[in-house]
Amino acid sequence: MIHPSSFARGLLLVLCLLLGACEPSSDSKTRTINGGSPGSRAPDSSAAGAPKDSGAARSGTPDAAADAATADRPLRIAVVPKGTTHDFWKSIHAGTIKAARELGNVEVTFRGPEREDDRQQQVDLVQNLISAGYDAIVLAPLDDKGLVAPVRQAGEAKIPVVIFDSGLAAEAGKDFVSYVATDNYKGGQLAGEKMVELVGGKGRVLMLRYAEGSASTALREQGFVDAVKAAPGIELVDPKRYAGATRATAQEAAENLLTANTDLAGIYCPNESSTFGMLLAIRGKGLAGKVKFVGFDASQGLIEAMRAKEIDALVVQNPIKMGYLAVKTAVGHIRGETVEQEIDTGVAIITSATVDNPENKDLLDPDLAQYLGR
Amino acid sequence: MFRVLAPLTGLLFVVLLFAAIPPHHGVTVLQLRTILVHTVIVAVAGLGMTMVIASGGIDLSIGSGVALAGVTGALALDHGWPLWGAVLASLATGTACGLYNGVLITALRLPPFIATLGTLGFFRGVAKWIAGSSPISPSDMHGFNTFLQPQPPENLRWMIVAPGVWLLLLLALGVAGLMRSTVFGRNILAIGGNETAARYAGISIRGVKTAAYALAGLFVGLAGLLQLSRLTQGDPTVAAGLELDVIAAVVIGGASLAGGTASIAGTPCGALMNAYLNNRCSLLGWPTFVQQMIVGHIIIAAVSVDLWRRRRS
Repeated sequence: MIHPSSFARGLLLVLCLLLGACEPSSDSKTRTINGGSPGSRAPDSSAAGAPKDSGAARSGTPDAAADAATADRPLRIAVVPKGTTHDFWKSIHAGTIKAARELGNVEVTFRGPEREDDRQQQVDLVQNLISAGYDAIVLAPLDDKGLVAPVRQAGEAKIPVVIFDSGLAAEAGKDFVSYVATDNYKGGQLAGEKMVELVGGKGRVLMLRYAEGSASTALREQGFVDAVKAAPGIELVDPKRYAGATRATAQEAAENLLTANTDLAGIYCPNESSTFGMLLAIRGKGLAGKVKFVGFDASQGLIEAMRAKEIDALVVQNPIKMGYLAVKTAVGHIRGETVEQEIDTGVAIITSATVDNPENKDLLDPDLAQYLGR
Repeated sequence: MFRVLAPLTGLLFVVLLFAAIPPHHGVTVLQLRTILVHTVIVAVAGLGMTMVIASGGIDLSIGSGVALAGVTGALALDHGWPLWGAVLASLATGTACGLYNGVLITALRLPPFIATLGTLGFFRGVAKWIAGSSPISPSDMHGFNTFLQPQPPENLRWMIVAPGVWLLLLLALGVAGLMRSTVFGRNILAIGGNETAARYAGISIRGVKTAAYALAGLFVGLAGLLQLSRLTQGDPTVAAGLELDVIAAVVIGGASLAGGTASIAGTPCGALMNAYLNNRCSLLGWPTFVQQMIVGHIIIAAVSVDLWRRRRS
């Protein structure tokens, strides 16, 4: 029934076949053209406090640039979000396409992990993209430590990496080119200050956290906690409950919290899915419009809820700008331009009073169709 | 013979089919190494699952068990234990998980689907509890983090592929030998084939089943250890839904969920197929949803072919 020997032979056969097929191309361009000069990093590396490493920095500038020039083929940039279903990531996607169009001769591949909150899936994806030989990888890490190894492997394969949205516990300028993100702590602070103002400086304020180990939302939570602490009349209810990855998990978590905690003056959630889940929950409990509600990020549903005064304020990032700058930074680096190691893409707070101001249109309701074609 | 050849043929068919889709890229050594490394965790857990399925059971708690074993290994390293201590901690955790499943199934006579559905939640909860709900990142991995990365470590380059890939090959040979040439292996198949007949033949159903689950647990512990090596952290939320990938690999490999058969060659082939498709779709730049739609139908096709063949014979 089972034949170990023939199994081994069969496996060898498959391997040989695959290996045979690869003979002519060997390790493709990553191996054959990596004799590029040292000092390959952008010139600002000495200012970054890593002057010793800059010479040996693992970055692909001259190689990739030379490769692209000789082959005259488009630069292939892989963009790896944390997920693909949230509106936020659709805006990021639009921004990356905007950048690709503007820069010319750049091809963007947008690919998220199979399961949206699974670090291992994202690690596998980055490794697959490395093996596919993209010219640069633009990555929003699901975990600040778990993704360090694959990012370093990209460096070894001379593929530059730009980190966006969420931080990575590695060295900018050495392990990756640049960090393009919202100042999340500042965003949380803005939300906290708004909350203090909305509840008049007193009452119980509930916070639903987003997910364990997510660096960007942890900063938004910390910023909020620090800001409301400044108001002595406010009692922060923070049972360390997490919304989880989707609106559905957030809704369940929110409903449970609202059952356990009554008599609330205000509620805060640190991202789109947790805000939306909470919105569904307060509607279900008949609390919508009665409790002050501050959320983070925007989507069509949240904006309509803000018009209906169910949500009082939203802290919004600028995801189109973030996607745009992330790709622009990656391409700039490949083309040998100087890029900053940290790029802030800005936050703003929008209230139910300012939601329809024309200057907020691009932040709240951007025209994604012109980029995504649907 | 056919049981061995079928999954290999299927694998070859899928590989050639997808390699034929333009644009064509030269296959690189790095790509092969990456695909093999991505096969290992699913395949190692799959070897244990193959035994359980052969006995007519199922283990849905694998993903949670992997997370729990990874967390205990990470905690051990974090407390300054040597590497072998952490290895033992993970393996013991996995075995304990499997043993618990086995006892629930044999002593309480719970259907395996229900018992392991329960422990799926239980193990995940324990993992989150002992990890304090956030990943444990040991400061010193003792070099273990290079065990299952696409590039083998500097001093082990002669291995060509990651040491973990060779470990999988050894384990597969070992399990194949166990199932073929030992009384224990034959008893598992006998129970899966016809439990009543096996009982009349004097086989200790409870003992064999409990041992099968415990042994599968050992493989889960090993998979958890490899997961820890891959992520360099013990993440209590990792591998959610891994059991479905594992069951898919076992089924694509040609095992019947009804029990009584085992294809030790098939399971790694099934895992390899999924890893290959993952890689190929990334290379083609296809969105994830396309890949999920394809893999779903590969499972359906694999089982259909298998059933058709059985009906004919």
